[in-house]
Amino acid sequence: MSVELPDTTGVAEQSPEELADLLGDLVIGREEHRNAPGFVIKPDTVVETLRRLRDDAGFDHLSCVTAQEYEDRYESIYHLTKFDDRTQEVSIVVPADKENPVSQSANEVFRTADWHEREAYDLVGIEYDEHPDHRRILLPETWQGHPLGLDYDQDQPQVVPLREHANPLLEDQQSQEESETMYLNIGPHHPATHGVLHIKAVLDGEQVVDLEPDIGYLHRCEEQMCQNSTYRYQIMPYPDRWDYISAGLLNEWAYARVAEDMADIEVPEYAQIIRTMGAELCRMAAHFLALGTFALDIYGDFTALFMYSIRDREKVQNILEDLTGQRLMFNYFRLGGVVWDLPEPREEFFDNIRDFLDELPTALEEYHDMMTSNEILQMRTVGTGVLPPEVAKSYGATGPVARGSGVDYDLRRDDPYGYYENLDWDVVTEDGCDNYSRLLVRMREVEQSAKIVEQCVDLLEAWPEDERNIQANVPRTIKPDDDTEIYRAVEGAKGELGIYMRADGTEKPARFKIRSPCFSNLQTLPEMSNGEYVPDAIASLGSLDIVLGEVDR
Amino acid sequence: MVGPLQSEVVLLPERIASLLGLGGTLGEVVGALIGAFIVANIMLACSGVAGPWAKRKITAAFTDRIAVNRIGPFGLLIIVAASVQLLAKELIIPDGADRPSYDLAPLILPSSALLGFSVIPMGSGIHLADPEAGLALVFAFASIASVSLVMGGYASNNKYSLMGGLRAVAQNIAYEIPLIVTAMSVVVFAGSLQMSTIVAEQASTLVSVAGVSIPAWYAFVNPFAFVLFLVANMAEIGRNPFDIPEAPTEIVAGYQTEYSSVYFVLFYLGEFLHVFLGGAIMATIFLGGPAGPVLPGFVWFIIKIWAFFLFTQWCRSALPRVRIDQLIEIGWKGMLVLSFANLVLTAIIVGVIA
Repeated sequence: MSVELPDTTGVAEQSPEELADLLGDLVIGREEHRNAPGFVIKPDTVVETLRRLRDDAGFDHLSCVTAQEYEDRYESIYHLTKFDDRTQEVSIVVPADKENPVSQSANEVFRTADWHEREAYDLVGIEYDEHPDHRRILLPETWQGHPLGLDYDQDQPQVVPLREHANPLLEDQQSQEESETMYLNIGPHHPATHGVLHIKAVLDGEQVVDLEPDIGYLHRCEEQMCQNSTYRYQIMPYPDRWDYISAGLLNEWAYARVAEDMADIEVPEYAQIIRTMGAELCRMAAHFLALGTFALDIYGDFTALFMYSIRDREKVQNILEDLTGQRLMFNYFRLGGVVWDLPEPREEFFDNIRDFLDELPTALEEYHDMMTSNEILQMRTVGTGVLPPEVAKSYGATGPVARGSGVDYDLRRDDPYGYYENLDWDVVTEDGCDNYSRLLVRMREVEQSAKIVEQCVDLLEAWPEDERNIQANVPRTIKPDDDTEIYRAVEGAKGELGIYMRADGTEKPARFKIRSPCFSNLQTLPEMSNGEYVPDAIASLGSLDIVLGEVDR
Repeated sequence: MVGPLQSEVVLLPERIASLLGLGGTLGEVVGALIGAFIVANIMLACSGVAGPWAKRKITAAFTDRIAVNRIGPFGLLIIVAASVQLLAKELIIPDGADRPSYDLAPLILPSSALLGFSVIPMGSGIHLADPEAGLALVFAFASIASVSLVMGGYASNNKYSLMGGLRAVAQNIAYEIPLIVTAMSVVVFAGSLQMSTIVAEQASTLVSVAGVSIPAWYAFVNPFAFVLFLVANMAEIGRNPFDIPEAPTEIVAGYQTEYSSVYFVLFYLGEFLHVFLGGAIMATIFLGGPAGPVLPGFVWFIIKIWAFFLFTQWCRSALPRVRIDQLIEIGWKGMLVLSFANLVLTAIIVGVIA
């Protein structure tokens, strides 16, 4: 009994040598990253290289773009992988001149590079040639300096002339000439933005002509905070604060996985099962909230559905509280395992979970009765906010958003970690590509998560008492070798949550880059909404299920 | 004074005048003023209970919550607390607001609804005026509401408000026609626009089942028209699933986005009055007005309008909102056709039978 692995027979697998041959003269050097061969290329051949890898080798997923500064150069790293075979990875390393860091933009090949490169420019300071929209993304337009650059002066006052601070919305308020369209600021405070998100919308009557998400209101320098913290103890609490909507354990796992791979730590099987169970409980809680807020966007009020989903989420939260001692910022994982064993009395804990799982089918039935089979809701969601699979892939959309567009991609199965490969569950996909599909995917994923939790509970209950090993033997300080580079991801509640780390021989990472699924997913919003009605744009935003804490980090 | 003829009802002002022993013009004026004062206060009291308390309690019951229960019995004193709180808030008037209309809009909404109640027979002799074109008049009063919404939406100098105002107009035009055409089918039955006649016509017995006679309420005579009217009425008063002019989560709060303090209270009050007016119209032309067994007519009337209020809250808790284009489509392509079909069929049937 195990999860059905994807059929990767049709996907060609290339050795690093074959890839080197494919790229030919473009490669000017080689690097070795932990999971992926790295090829160094010239900054003006990015498009050519990525296009060859995408079209000829099938690397169709630009998972992440990392930028960093060395003593002698800047560097952008394009982490490529395949939607059909996640275990194949390749890193394209693009060094840029220290004095004049300019690199070609990859936007032409992968649309997702747009935002990722803007972030790289904003935080590190690399400029991207041919970028269609070369601006800061997280920090204000008036910000001085690039905070993750080496020579950035943290004490530098951010005082800028008054003209720089002139109300950026002022000119938009005035309609210059007779215009057919209306400019509308949705947010940063608006009932439907689920946090502080600002959407610049251009409307033609009730229809959206153009829409541009403006993010960064919740930027808390999470990457930099992690760079200033030790691998062993200090980083682990931070992931809880990225996707803070009950998905804490999933985020912690992202860090645990990357750090354990970097330091070669084997996690005991018992701890893996606890992790898997905890993570799936988090996923259920997160999906319940997604369901409730989506209902809120469609129904327009705090209706029965919202309250019901909160009620069910509360049950999961109670279980998680029993397990971790916390309701929101769990801080339960440790490198090499988890912090403590299941709560005593164990029987009661298992009974609580089983009670919840027994009631779940009835609860889901209720949701289906009230929501998915409601004709008005179907009228509103079927065929709206359409995201074709090719577009979803190009934007690097993952998680329920990609699976709602029929992209069969789930890291739990495709790049197995934890205990998932030994359990019996399925990856859920829907082919509708619309808001309704994304809703269905989440509801069905709750069922699958319940299946996983049930199996975990059975395993944990039967586990021999003297073999309950919750933590591996991990050294007190972890100092990976200098220049160890690794990029790893897990399946978070919203999609592929990846972390890139570079060690510099100390006990703190030299570079800590978070690949947030919400960040990439949010990028698809204009594609879904342009030409749609305002209410549908709002519904699409709800169906993306973004958490601004993770988008802005 | 006047004999108990069916067509001639003793109206509230006359009764007050005769009680006070006043006659002539003075009696008419004083009676009318006191009567209007009573009717307005009844409805304002209903709205006062509905807004800060009943609405929250009902919604809480639908969504497994408790809602207000801290102040007074069943939390009833929250009505007082909420009024003080709302009135004590700062009245913020946005820059560039179009002043006279910005201030007038929140007055027009509740007063248009209150005017509508003047021709509604509330039973137990509470009936202010009974003009021959009563039904036409009440619809005329009710539709003044959209003027207020447009004024507020336009004068606020806010794009969300403007969109809300525009949506309100589109919606009201699309649904007023089916609403009135459906009401006309009742007029075909009753043969009069006069409210008292419409009520009186429904008092006759439709069928007798085991000794219990079921009255000829037009909801029983023509259930199809009743449903049509119910749907159109929901759209007319802008409740879920047709609460598009406000549409929180889409356009913040629509036309009332910029209103605060007293102005907000007036808008809020006006909305509830319009819900009750909608209920009152339904009760009068489809549910036999204040008629009902055992209890006095006035109590039945209150029960009927509160039942309609309960229905709107039920829909609010359970139904998603339709999109503006879908709303317009339902209105023009669905409701309009059905309501005309209903009217023509009713006219033919009544013509053949009569």
